[in-house]
Amino acid sequence: MENIGKVSHWVFHLGDTRLVVNSTTLMMTWVVIGLVLAFALIATRGRAMVPGPWQQLAEFLVQWFRELVRDALGEAYEERYFTLICGMFIFLLLCNWVGVLPGLEEPTKDINTTLGLGIMGFIIAHGTAIKVKGLKQYLKEYFEPMFFLMPLNVVGEVAKVISISFRLFGNIIGGSIIIVVVTHLVYGLLLPPFLYGFFGLFVGTVQAFVFTMLTLVYISVQIR
Amino acid sequence: MAVEISGADIVRAAAMLGAGIAMGIGAFGPGLGEGIVAGKACEAIGRNPREAGLLTRTMLVGQAVAESTGIYSLVVALLLIFVV
Repeated sequence: MENIGKVSHWVFHLGDTRLVVNSTTLMMTWVVIGLVLAFALIATRGRAMVPGPWQQLAEFLVQWFRELVRDALGEAYEERYFTLICGMFIFLLLCNWVGVLPGLEEPTKDINTTLGLGIMGFIIAHGTAIKVKGLKQYLKEYFEPMFFLMPLNVVGEVAKVISISFRLFGNIIGGSIIIVVVTHLVYGLLLPPFLYGFFGLFVGTVQAFVFTMLTLVYISVQIR
Repeated sequence: MAVEISGADIVRAAAMLGAGIAMGIGAFGPGLGEGIVAGKACEAIGRNPREAGLLTRTMLVGQAVAESTGIYSLVVALLLIFVV
Protein backbone atom coordinates (compact mmCIF):
# COMPACT_ATOMS: atom_id res chain seq x y z
CA MET A 1 0.00 0.00 0.00
CA GLU A 2 2.80 2.37 0.88
CA ASN A 3 4.80 1.82 -2.32
CA ILE A 4 2.12 3.12 -4.70
CA GLY A 5 3.97 6.32 -5.39
CA LYS A 6 7.44 4.73 -5.38
CA VAL A 7 9.19 3.97 -8.69
CA SER A 8 12.47 2.05 -8.76
CA HIS A 9 15.13 3.50 -11.05
CA TRP A 10 18.32 2.38 -12.73
CA VAL A 11 20.76 5.24 -13.26
CA PHE A 12 23.37 5.00 -16.01
CA HIS A 13 26.19 7.54 -16.22
CA LEU A 14 27.17 8.10 -19.85
CA GLY A 15 30.04 10.55 -19.48
CA ASP A 16 28.49 13.54 -17.75
CA THR A 17 24.89 12.78 -18.72
CA ARG A 18 22.73 10.77 -16.29
CA LEU A 19 20.38 8.26 -17.92
CA VAL A 20 17.55 7.38 -15.48
CA VAL A 21 15.51 4.31 -16.46
CA ASN A 22 12.41 2.86 -14.83
CA SER A 23 13.64 -0.61 -13.97
CA THR A 24 10.26 -2.21 -13.20
CA THR A 25 8.84 -1.27 -16.58
CA LEU A 26 11.91 -2.52 -18.44
CA MET A 27 11.94 -5.88 -16.70
CA MET A 28 8.19 -6.35 -17.10
CA THR A 29 8.39 -5.44 -20.79
CA TRP A 30 11.02 -8.16 -21.25
CA VAL A 31 8.74 -10.60 -19.40
CA VAL A 32 5.86 -9.72 -21.74
CA ILE A 33 8.09 -10.03 -24.82
CA GLY A 34 9.07 -13.49 -23.56
CA LEU A 35 5.40 -14.41 -23.10
CA VAL A 36 4.55 -13.23 -26.63
CA LEU A 37 7.41 -15.25 -28.10
CA ALA A 38 6.38 -18.30 -26.04
CA PHE A 39 2.80 -17.94 -27.31
CA ALA A 40 4.05 -17.68 -30.89
CA LEU A 41 6.29 -20.73 -30.55
CA ILE A 42 3.68 -22.89 -28.84
CA ALA A 43 1.00 -21.90 -31.37
CA THR A 44 3.11 -22.63 -34.43
CA ARG A 45 5.15 -25.60 -33.16
CA GLY A 46 2.77 -28.50 -33.82
CA ARG A 47 1.14 -27.12 -36.93
CA ALA A 48 -1.46 -29.60 -38.20
CA MET A 49 -4.60 -29.54 -40.31
CA VAL A 50 -6.49 -30.41 -37.10
CA PRO A 51 -5.36 -27.44 -35.00
CA GLY A 52 -4.53 -27.81 -31.33
CA PRO A 53 -5.96 -25.28 -28.83
CA TRP A 54 -3.06 -22.83 -29.05
CA GLN A 55 -3.03 -22.98 -32.84
CA GLN A 56 -6.79 -22.37 -32.92
CA LEU A 57 -6.38 -19.31 -30.71
CA ALA A 58 -3.59 -17.94 -32.89
CA GLU A 59 -5.54 -18.62 -36.08
CA PHE A 60 -8.60 -16.88 -34.63
CA LEU A 61 -6.59 -13.76 -33.74
CA VAL A 62 -4.85 -13.66 -37.12
CA GLN A 63 -8.05 -14.13 -39.12
CA TRP A 64 -9.99 -11.59 -37.04
CA PHE A 65 -7.39 -8.87 -37.36
CA ARG A 66 -6.78 -9.61 -41.03
CA GLU A 67 -10.51 -9.03 -41.53
CA LEU A 68 -10.44 -5.78 -39.52
CA VAL A 69 -7.38 -4.44 -41.36
CA ARG A 70 -8.82 -5.39 -44.77
CA ASP A 71 -12.05 -3.52 -43.94
CA ALA A 72 -10.20 -0.44 -42.72
CA LEU A 73 -7.30 -0.13 -45.17
CA GLY A 74 -8.46 -2.04 -48.26
CA GLU A 75 -6.63 -4.81 -50.10
CA ALA A 76 -3.56 -2.80 -51.15
CA TYR A 77 -2.26 -1.88 -47.69
CA GLU A 78 -3.65 -4.85 -45.78
CA GLU A 79 -0.48 -6.93 -46.05
CA ARG A 80 1.77 -4.11 -44.91
CA TYR A 81 -0.11 -3.07 -41.74
CA PHE A 82 -1.71 -6.32 -40.63
CA THR A 83 1.36 -7.58 -38.74
CA LEU A 84 1.73 -4.23 -36.95
CA ILE A 85 -1.88 -4.19 -35.80
CA CYS A 86 -2.04 -7.87 -34.79
CA GLY A 87 1.33 -7.73 -33.05
CA MET A 88 0.39 -4.56 -31.21
CA PHE A 89 -2.85 -6.11 -29.99
CA ILE A 90 -1.18 -9.30 -28.70
CA PHE A 91 1.60 -7.29 -27.02
CA LEU A 92 -0.86 -4.90 -25.35
CA LEU A 93 -3.17 -7.74 -24.34
CA LEU A 94 -0.38 -9.60 -22.56
CA CYS A 95 0.94 -6.29 -21.15
CA ASN A 96 -2.41 -5.60 -19.50
CA TRP A 97 -2.92 -9.21 -18.38
CA VAL A 98 0.50 -9.76 -16.86
CA GLY A 99 -0.49 -7.71 -13.76
CA VAL A 100 -2.81 -10.52 -12.70
CA LEU A 101 0.14 -12.86 -12.06
CA PRO A 102 1.50 -12.43 -8.53
CA GLY A 103 4.67 -10.36 -8.32
CA LEU A 104 4.40 -8.99 -11.85
CA GLU A 105 3.28 -5.51 -12.88
CA GLU A 106 1.89 -4.18 -16.15
CA PRO A 107 4.45 -2.31 -18.29
CA THR A 108 1.57 -0.14 -19.56
CA LYS A 109 1.28 1.22 -16.02
CA ASP A 110 4.11 3.54 -17.00
CA ILE A 111 3.41 6.57 -19.24
CA ASN A 112 6.63 5.94 -21.16
CA THR A 113 5.28 2.68 -22.61
CA THR A 114 1.94 4.05 -23.75
CA LEU A 115 3.32 7.38 -24.99
CA GLY A 116 6.01 5.49 -26.87
CA LEU A 117 3.40 3.30 -28.58
CA GLY A 118 1.24 6.36 -29.28
CA ILE A 119 4.12 8.26 -30.90
CA MET A 120 5.01 5.15 -32.91
CA GLY A 121 1.44 4.98 -34.24
CA PHE A 122 1.52 8.72 -35.00
CA ILE A 123 4.76 8.45 -36.99
CA ILE A 124 3.49 5.39 -38.89
CA ALA A 125 0.19 7.09 -39.76
CA HIS A 126 1.80 10.33 -40.93
CA GLY A 127 4.69 8.59 -42.65
CA THR A 128 2.18 6.62 -44.69
CA ALA A 129 0.20 9.76 -45.45
CA ILE A 130 3.28 11.52 -46.80
CA LYS A 131 4.26 8.46 -48.84
CA VAL A 132 0.76 7.93 -50.25
CA LYS A 133 -0.41 11.48 -50.86
CA GLY A 134 2.93 13.19 -51.37
CA LEU A 135 4.26 15.96 -49.15
CA LYS A 136 2.51 18.82 -50.95
CA GLN A 137 -0.96 17.28 -50.76
CA TYR A 138 -0.32 16.15 -47.18
CA LEU A 139 0.58 19.69 -46.09
CA LYS A 140 -2.25 21.21 -48.13
CA GLU A 141 -4.74 19.12 -46.17
CA TYR A 142 -3.86 21.02 -43.00
CA PHE A 143 -5.33 24.12 -44.64
CA GLU A 144 -8.38 22.14 -45.72
CA PRO A 145 -11.66 23.82 -44.82
CA MET A 146 -10.32 27.35 -44.28
CA PHE A 147 -6.71 28.55 -44.35
CA PHE A 148 -6.83 29.99 -40.82
CA LEU A 149 -7.82 26.57 -39.41
CA MET A 150 -4.27 25.25 -39.78
CA PRO A 151 -3.30 25.54 -36.06
CA LEU A 152 -6.50 23.76 -35.12
CA ASN A 153 -5.75 20.87 -37.48
CA VAL A 154 -2.18 20.56 -36.22
CA VAL A 155 -3.30 20.57 -32.58
CA GLY A 156 -6.00 18.03 -33.48
CA GLU A 157 -3.38 15.63 -34.81
CA VAL A 158 -1.14 15.98 -31.75
CA ALA A 159 -4.16 15.67 -29.45
CA LYS A 160 -4.85 12.22 -30.94
CA VAL A 161 -1.49 10.96 -29.69
CA ILE A 162 -2.02 12.43 -26.22
CA SER A 163 -5.56 11.09 -25.92
CA ILE A 164 -4.76 7.56 -27.07
CA SER A 165 -1.70 7.28 -24.80
CA PHE A 166 -3.28 8.77 -21.69
CA ARG A 167 -6.43 6.68 -22.15
CA LEU A 168 -4.47 3.42 -21.92
CA PHE A 169 -2.12 4.75 -19.22
CA GLY A 170 -4.96 6.16 -17.07
CA ASN A 171 -7.10 3.05 -17.29
CA ILE A 172 -4.31 0.65 -16.35
CA ILE A 173 -2.72 2.71 -13.57
CA GLY A 174 -6.15 3.67 -12.19
CA GLY A 175 -7.20 0.02 -12.16
CA SER A 176 -4.03 -1.13 -10.44
CA ILE A 177 -4.28 1.58 -7.77
CA ILE A 178 -7.92 0.71 -7.10
CA ILE A 179 -6.94 -2.96 -6.80
CA VAL A 180 -4.16 -2.15 -4.29
CA VAL A 181 -6.28 0.23 -2.22
CA VAL A 182 -9.41 -1.93 -2.05
CA THR A 183 -7.38 -5.07 -1.33
CA HIS A 184 -5.73 -3.15 1.53
CA LEU A 185 -9.12 -2.04 2.85
CA VAL A 186 -10.60 -5.55 2.67
CA TYR A 187 -7.41 -7.14 4.13
CA GLY A 188 -7.26 -9.31 1.03
CA LEU A 189 -10.50 -11.15 1.66
CA LEU A 190 -12.95 -12.26 -1.08
CA LEU A 191 -12.70 -9.20 -3.34
CA PRO A 192 -9.24 -9.32 -5.01
CA PRO A 193 -10.03 -12.07 -7.58
CA PHE A 194 -13.07 -10.10 -8.81
CA LEU A 195 -11.03 -6.87 -8.87
CA TYR A 196 -8.28 -8.53 -10.88
CA GLY A 197 -10.91 -10.11 -13.09
CA PHE A 198 -12.55 -6.79 -13.88
CA PHE A 199 -9.66 -4.31 -13.91
CA GLY A 200 -6.96 -6.70 -15.03
CA LEU A 201 -8.65 -8.93 -17.58
CA PHE A 202 -11.77 -7.12 -18.81
CA VAL A 203 -10.58 -3.51 -18.80
CA GLY A 204 -7.16 -4.67 -20.02
CA THR A 205 -8.69 -6.47 -23.01
CA VAL A 206 -11.04 -3.61 -23.88
CA GLN A 207 -8.27 -1.00 -23.64
CA ALA A 208 -5.85 -3.11 -25.72
CA PHE A 209 -8.55 -3.51 -28.38
CA VAL A 210 -9.46 0.20 -28.30
CA PHE A 211 -5.81 1.30 -28.58
CA THR A 212 -5.24 -1.03 -31.54
CA MET A 213 -8.48 -0.12 -33.30
CA LEU A 214 -7.83 3.62 -32.92
CA THR A 215 -4.30 3.26 -34.28
CA LEU A 216 -5.79 1.38 -37.25
CA VAL A 217 -8.44 4.08 -37.73
CA TYR A 218 -5.83 6.86 -37.56
CA ILE A 219 -3.82 5.11 -40.29
CA SER A 220 -6.89 4.54 -42.47
CA VAL A 221 -7.96 8.19 -42.08
CA GLN A 222 -4.54 9.28 -43.31
CA ILE A 223 -4.58 6.89 -46.25
CA ARG A 224 -7.99 7.79 -47.63
CA MET B 1 -2.27 25.86 22.18
CA ALA B 2 -3.21 26.70 18.61
CA VAL B 3 -1.25 24.68 16.07
CA GLU B 4 -0.59 27.05 13.17
CA ILE B 5 -0.87 25.51 9.71
CA SER B 6 2.18 26.28 7.56
CA GLY B 7 2.17 26.91 3.82
CA ALA B 8 3.11 23.35 2.86
CA ASP B 9 0.08 21.89 4.64
CA ILE B 10 -2.24 24.32 2.89
CA VAL B 11 -0.78 23.31 -0.48
CA ARG B 12 -1.19 19.64 0.40
CA ALA B 13 -4.76 20.17 1.56
CA ALA B 14 -5.61 22.15 -1.56
CA ALA B 15 -4.10 19.41 -3.75
CA MET B 16 -6.23 16.77 -2.07
CA LEU B 17 -9.34 18.95 -2.39
CA GLY B 18 -8.53 19.55 -6.04
CA ALA B 19 -8.12 15.82 -6.66
CA GLY B 20 -11.52 15.17 -5.11
CA ILE B 21 -13.21 17.86 -7.20
CA ALA B 22 -11.42 16.70 -10.37
CA MET B 23 -12.64 13.14 -9.89
CA GLY B 24 -16.13 14.24 -8.88
CA ILE B 25 -16.79 16.46 -11.87
CA GLY B 26 -14.76 14.16 -14.12
CA ALA B 27 -17.15 11.29 -13.41
CA PHE B 28 -20.15 13.22 -14.75
CA GLY B 29 -19.25 13.23 -18.43
CA PRO B 30 -18.38 9.55 -18.96
CA GLY B 31 -21.43 8.48 -16.95
CA LEU B 32 -23.71 10.41 -19.30
CA GLY B 33 -21.80 9.42 -22.43
CA GLU B 34 -21.63 5.71 -21.66
CA GLY B 35 -25.29 5.69 -20.70
CA ILE B 36 -26.29 7.14 -24.06
CA VAL B 37 -24.01 4.68 -25.88
CA ALA B 38 -25.47 1.74 -23.96
CA GLY B 39 -29.03 2.96 -24.53
CA LYS B 40 -28.56 3.29 -28.28
CA ALA B 41 -26.88 -0.12 -28.39
CA CYS B 42 -29.83 -1.72 -26.59
CA GLU B 43 -32.22 -0.13 -29.09
CA ALA B 44 -30.12 -1.37 -32.01
CA ILE B 45 -29.95 -4.90 -30.59
CA GLY B 46 -33.70 -4.80 -30.03
CA ARG B 47 -34.19 -3.84 -33.67
CA ASN B 48 -31.71 -6.39 -35.06
CA PRO B 49 -30.93 -9.19 -32.56
CA ARG B 50 -28.89 -11.15 -35.11
CA GLU B 51 -26.16 -8.50 -35.00
CA ALA B 52 -25.93 -8.58 -31.17
CA GLY B 53 -22.25 -9.65 -31.19
CA LEU B 54 -21.04 -6.88 -33.47
CA LEU B 55 -23.21 -4.29 -31.69
CA THR B 56 -21.91 -5.29 -28.27
CA ARG B 57 -18.32 -5.03 -29.48
CA THR B 58 -18.95 -1.63 -31.05
CA MET B 59 -20.70 -0.48 -27.87
CA LEU B 60 -17.70 -1.49 -25.75
CA VAL B 61 -15.32 0.42 -28.02
CA GLY B 62 -17.63 3.44 -27.97
CA GLN B 63 -17.91 3.35 -24.19
CA ALA B 64 -14.13 3.05 -23.80
CA VAL B 65 -13.68 6.12 -26.00
CA ALA B 66 -16.38 8.03 -24.11
CA GLU B 67 -14.65 7.12 -20.87
CA SER B 68 -11.37 8.76 -21.88
CA THR B 69 -12.23 12.22 -20.50
CA GLY B 70 -12.98 10.64 -17.14
CA ILE B 71 -9.62 8.92 -17.30
CA TYR B 72 -7.88 12.23 -18.00
CA SER B 73 -9.43 13.69 -14.83
CA LEU B 74 -8.30 10.54 -13.02
CA VAL B 75 -4.72 11.15 -14.22
CA VAL B 76 -4.98 14.78 -13.07
CA ALA B 77 -6.29 13.64 -9.67
CA LEU B 78 -3.46 11.10 -9.34
CA LEU B 79 -0.91 13.77 -10.21
CA LEU B 80 -2.42 16.07 -7.58
CA ILE B 81 -2.29 13.36 -4.93
CA PHE B 82 1.10 11.82 -5.61
CA VAL B 83 3.11 14.61 -7.15
CA VAL B 84 2.04 17.81 -5.46
